[in-house]
Amino acid sequence: MFDLIKGLRTTAKYLFTKPVTISYPEVKRPVRERFRGKHELKRYADGKERCIGCSLCAAACPADAIYVEPAENNPQNPVGYGERYAAKYEINMIRCIYCGYCEDACPTNAIVLEHQYELSFYDRKAAVFTKEILLQPVDKGWGEPPPILQNLNRPPNPPAQMEL
Amino acid sequence: MPDITLTIDGVAVTVPQGTGLVEAAREAGIEIPVFCHHPKLVPVGMCRMCLVEIGTPKIDPATKQPVLDENGKPVIAMQPNLQVACTNPVSNGMVVKTNTAEVEFARKGVLEFLLTSHPLDCPVCIKGGECPLQNLTMGYGPSVSRFDYDDKVHFEKPIPLGPLIDLDRERCILCSRCVRFEDEIAGDSVLGFANRGRAWMIQSKSNPPFNSKFSGNTVDICPVGALMNGEFRYAGRVWEIKPVPTVCPHCPVGCNMTLDMRYRDIKRVQPRSNEWVNEIWLCDRGRWGFHFVTSDKRLTKPLVRRGGELVETTWQEALEDIAQRLHGVVQNFGGNAVGGLAGGRLANEDLYLFQKLFRELLQSPNIDSRNGTLDEPEHDDLAYAFGLASGTDLGQLGKGTTVLVVGADPEEEAPVHLLRLRGIKRRGGELIVANGRPTKLDASATRTVRYQYGHEAHFVLGLLSAVLEGGSENKEFVRSRTKNLDALRTALRPFGVAAVAEQIGVAADVFQAVAQSVAGAENLVIVYGREAFAAGTPLLQALGNLALITGHVGRPGNGVLPIMRYNNSRGALDMGVRPGKGPGYTNVVKEGLTAQQMVQAAGNGKLQALYIAGLDPVAANPASRAALEKVGLLIVQDLFLTPTAQIADYVLPASSFAERDGTYTNAERRVQRFRAARNNLGDSRPDWQIFAGLGRALAAMVRQPALDTVAASAGKPTGKRPAPAQPVATARTWLYRSTDDINAEIVQQVAIYKGASYAQLKSSHGTWGRQAADDPVFYDGTSYTNTEGFGVQWPTLAEQTNVVFDLVFSQPTTPQPRNGELLLVAAPRLYDGGTLMQNAEGLSFWVAQPYVGVAKADAERLGIASGDRLRLSSAQGNVELYAKVDGLVGPGTLLVPDLAEIPLGQVQTGVLTPVRVEKVEG
Ligand code: SF4
Ligand code: SF4
Ligand code: SF4
Ligand code: SF4
Ligand code: FES
Repeated sequence: MFDLIKGLRTTAKYLFTKPVTISYPEVKRPVRERFRGKHELKRYADGKERCIGCSLCAAACPADAIYVEPAENNPQNPVGYGERYAAKYEINMIRCIYCGYCEDACPTNAIVLEHQYELSFYDRKAAVFTKEILLQPVDKGWGEPPPILQNLNRPPNPPAQMEL
Repeated sequence: MPDITLTIDGVAVTVPQGTGLVEAAREAGIEIPVFCHHPKLVPVGMCRMCLVEIGTPKIDPATKQPVLDENGKPVIAMQPNLQVACTNPVSNGMVVKTNTAEVEFARKGVLEFLLTSHPLDCPVCIKGGECPLQNLTMGYGPSVSRFDYDDKVHFEKPIPLGPLIDLDRERCILCSRCVRFEDEIAGDSVLGFANRGRAWMIQSKSNPPFNSKFSGNTVDICPVGALMNGEFRYAGRVWEIKPVPTVCPHCPVGCNMTLDMRYRDIKRVQPRSNEWVNEIWLCDRGRWGFHFVTSDKRLTKPLVRRGGELVETTWQEALEDIAQRLHGVVQNFGGNAVGGLAGGRLANEDLYLFQKLFRELLQSPNIDSRNGTLDEPEHDDLAYAFGLASGTDLGQLGKGTTVLVVGADPEEEAPVHLLRLRGIKRRGGELIVANGRPTKLDASATRTVRYQYGHEAHFVLGLLSAVLEGGSENKEFVRSRTKNLDALRTALRPFGVAAVAEQIGVAADVFQAVAQSVAGAENLVIVYGREAFAAGTPLLQALGNLALITGHVGRPGNGVLPIMRYNNSRGALDMGVRPGKGPGYTNVVKEGLTAQQMVQAAGNGKLQALYIAGLDPVAANPASRAALEKVGLLIVQDLFLTPTAQIADYVLPASSFAERDGTYTNAERRVQRFRAARNNLGDSRPDWQIFAGLGRALAAMVRQPALDTVAASAGKPTGKRPAPAQPVATARTWLYRSTDDINAEIVQQVAIYKGASYAQLKSSHGTWGRQAADDPVFYDGTSYTNTEGFGVQWPTLAEQTNVVFDLVFSQPTTPQPRNGELLLVAAPRLYDGGTLMQNAEGLSFWVAQPYVGVAKADAERLGIASGDRLRLSSAQGNVELYAKVDGLVGPGTLLVPDLAEIPLGQVQTGVLTPVRVEKVEG
């Protein structure tokens, strides 16, 4: 008897507080700054890709969710800085455990777990996100390449002059 | 050599005299980090990474005795400065400290300096993950650099150093390992340093650039990512790669290597360390020649000829039809109307089943492992009796060893043998090279002998005479192990030194000197190659006699080493794929037809069915096409639609070495296992599976009393459950589940393979190689530790001490060019542009253009200039080639590189062919 009243009191209390449920998908819940959702492959401010195809993210990944296939940059029309870029970059979103290790491993801050969390698929194949899906639009890039990459654009040292 | 005891970091260690300090420390389990030092190269002390403190016992100058302290221990005089460990040999009582603060400070300094001009692009550097600079920096280096990044030296990067190798000069730490490898081990001085100071760099000195057949090894031993395998640069990272152990399919050295797989793709080929075979080296053909495996010309479906066209069919249909038709031929015409050719590129398991299929099920003695062209030599039985005795390690022989190379060009025929033979000379052995033309080995020889082609046997007979005339034969051995020496003496009478010297134009004292070196040596290795086979049996017998009368057989370090054509030519003979002998060189009841006779019989319509696996008679000699077209049932089993396959009735797609298990037997008779790395391509199948499938189909049809008794006795209930190791295949079932079953049967049936079971092949001991988890610093390159075993060398006949050998002799013959005719010699070429070099784009650069080399004297006499088009014709046919006048061959000889593009079989009448030469327009 007493228990029943106790239970009803709790019910009554919540009847007059603000509800915690939100009516997703009409209303979306904001996420925290450090939330780890879908990955994005970033670009520099000049639109060049940050990823240098080094596979360090794949090596760091505890779920073996990342596959990188590198290729050589065409010096005339480079995709990114340096000799190498990722020709193929795939993340298997159902393997991924959203730990963010890839982000830590990346030497160029190319792979970043962003705030998008609506990830659902009709089949397993669709869960493998390709580079096209992951890559940021050209105009959304940020930042300057680090000196180590800028250095590559420096002209080579002049050949040694030997006085004979 | 006396042993030396020294103390390293308080650990006492005893090593042979002459050991370097780095190796001694390794023995004690202590790491001394190195960059420029390599255990296979002469130390130079260039990088200063190995600095340590060294002290030696103080010696009293008056008494020359060590000074003792009050405890009676020798007083150690430490050297005032740090010393490099790599160039310092050990000495008795030496005290070494590798972990003092001073040493650690010095290492930090060396690394910081090295990194001042290093680009630090590990994330995109293909060496990252297996890079000693990375590892040692992590282990011993400073964590920060005081050097301004913008001041780093900057070169254009990377640049191609040769067709196969790229160089990033920024990463190079100038250790000179690459230069020293090419100079010391390979003998190709093609690399060198240029400039001084910060512009100091590696460059290729040769034209065409990096002209060495061993260039890939420099990539392995380069301690940084400066030298790169051009193909591998964008193939993935080294930690993403799974190495699968295999054996090189390209030449009879049988180098141990791995196929480095990233998922289904072969990304690179790396050596596996095997001190018995290839040490830690590979030649470039082995390293870059794997691309034929992924060629899109590979056959993927069984084909059958219907209405003149080859159309796809299923395995079941194909095998049943073939079995039916073969069975029909055998029933109507007898086993003699069936023939089989299976080449030395197949594995032992395939070859064993092949001969079993023919001998047991088809009742046919006609099998061979040759193409049936006229230039093919006799099968070599010499190695069965006198092959390099088991326990021989060419990598250990040195002082006291004489190597006699007759008619071989190891650089082209068996490249890694070249490195090993050079090593024997480096260690103080004698290397005598006799040939009709200059070869690369000449540069490393202690003596070269130049005879006229066609006089190979005369040369060796002259040597025999020189030994006997000088009385330097091994009398004890001759008495106890040989017979008929007197008959040999009589037969040799016309071949006395003076007479032979006169006849073949080699000075008599050369014979005496060579004979002395051969007879006086403690160990003798006789190497002979494709050009020597020209002389056939007389030469082989003479070489055998030479080894016998000097007593150089049956002991480790002694024997003959024939270099045959294919990687498993030896295995083909071991397995009895030849007309005269069964598996294990046993005698057979009925001698069958040789390949040549089969082609002839085909032309005469006497051969009703012919099964060709891994050989291509039509490509070898286009003239045999007509004969083979007459065969009622022509079955070809291959990787590609070869010219022979194009005229076949059935074409069966076989798997390549990368897709299957098996064993190959190399020139030194070492049986070695290789493993499947990828899935079968399409519907292709391993050769043994095809033979076994056919065997099953045939066994079901053949009702032979002989088979029935075999089957009955095999299947007789014994009351006990059969042991699981029992082979499952019987004459009736032919049920082989894997190569293990076939291996078990071979071990049982073939006496010489008794010790070659898969379990025994796997044994390895004291292997070294790529830095293992417990051995992170002693860096000898990226060659892998051998996990698949060193293989097993089967014992020769001469090793049984009770066998007595007959000193047989047969009269040598020389091809007789008639007036105006010149002698055509085919020179083996490693880069022959054949089917196994398909798709290997990097190597195609090295494939020579077809030409015929003419001696200067002949060119003048016949009015030939370089670039003229010549027609060479013999009794057999003719070929047309552009002339190149060079000094490589003596007058009277024409030299043609043995390239796939040149249909030499068309004109050859033997290994040496007399040809008429005429100029044609064009
Ligand atoms: S995302 Fe970063 S870590 Fe991954 S491959 Fe690209 S650059 Fe390397
Ligand atoms: S050579 Fe070694 S240290 Fe240098 S960039 Fe390559 S991986 Fe890094
Ligand atoms: S290229 Fe490599 S092996 Fe050659 S000197 Fe430079 S670092 Fe040494
Ligand atoms: S020497 Fe012969 S076996 Fe060794 S890698 Fe070269 S081709 Fe292959
Ligand atoms: S100086 Fe000793 S390893 Fe380089």
